[in-house]
Amino acid sequence: MNEPNSDSELDALFAQARSRRPDPSAAEYAFETRLMARLRNSAAPESIWARASWRMLPFFATCVVVLAVWHAQVASETQEAEQVVYAETPDMVELWSHLN
Amino acid sequence: MVPEESAAPDGHLVDATLAGDEQAFAELARRHKGRVFGIASRFARNAAELEDICQEVFVQAYFKLRQFRRDSPFEHWLMRIATFKCYDYLRKRRRDGAGVSIDAMLESGHEPTAPERPAPHPDLERLYAALAQLSPKERLVITLLELEERSLQEIAGLTGWSVANVKVRAFRARAALRKLMEKKS
Repeated sequence: MNEPNSDSELDALFAQARSRRPDPSAAEYAFETRLMARLRNSAAPESIWARASWRMLPFFATCVVVLAVWHAQVASETQEAEQVVYAETPDMVELWSHLN
Repeated sequence: MVPEESAAPDGHLVDATLAGDEQAFAELARRHKGRVFGIASRFARNAAELEDICQEVFVQAYFKLRQFRRDSPFEHWLMRIATFKCYDYLRKRRRDGAGVSIDAMLESGHEPTAPERPAPHPDLERLYAALAQLSPKERLVITLLELEERSLQEIAGLTGWSVANVKVRAFRARAALRKLMEKKS
C-alpha cells in the first residue's frame, strides 16, 4: 500500500476522494414528503423563555431554599426579641406604684 | 397556495411559508435538498444518518425562518445551517465514540465502507479513517476545503470563523491528518 508521506500524496488522495463523491440521490427520493410529514407531526419547539426557565430551575430552587432558611432564621430572632420586649414583669401594678 | 411554484423566487416561497403555506416550504426543500444532501453526505456514515442530518437542517430552517434576513440568498443561509448541523453530528459522534482507533474503524467499517460510498481504494479507506480521527473542527474545515473545494472566504462565511482562523485551522488539520496517516505507515 502506498502510504502518503508527503503533501502531494495527500493531495492525490483528496483528488481521488473528490472524484468518488457519495451519491445521495436514492436518499433524496421523496425527501420533501417525509420532511413535511415530520413538520406536521412535530409541535412548535419551546419558546426561548420556556427553555430559559427550565435551565434556570436549579437557580430558582436554590433561591427558594435560601429564602426558606433566611425566613426561618428571621422568624426565630423575632420571636426571641418579642420574648425580651414583652417579657412578663413580676408585678406590673407594684412597679407602677413604685415609679409614681 | 403558491402559483407557479417552480418559477417563484426563494424569497416569495419564504414569504408564503411564513404566511402558513406548507407547500411553499416543500418547494424550497425540493429545490435545495440536493446541495444539503451533497454536503451532509461527506459527513454522514450511513443513509439513516444522512436522512437525519438533512431533516434536522430543514426542520431548523422551517422553525427559524423568521430569523432569515434577506441580505443574502436563502441558499447561503440554509448551507450555513447545514454546516452547523454537520458539525453538531461530528461533535456528537466524537462524544459517543471517542478513542476508536483507525484500525478498529477499518475493521468495523465505521467510516470508509458506509454503504452509500463507492467501494474505496485501500488508501482512501485509510484517508477516511484518519479523517474520522480528527477533531470535529479539523474534520469540518478539511472536508470543506479539500473535498468540497470551498474557498477560505466561503468556509469563513459558513462557519462564522474569520478567514485567518480558517487558514490556521486548515493548516493544523492537514498536519494532524498527515501525522495520523504516517503513524500507520
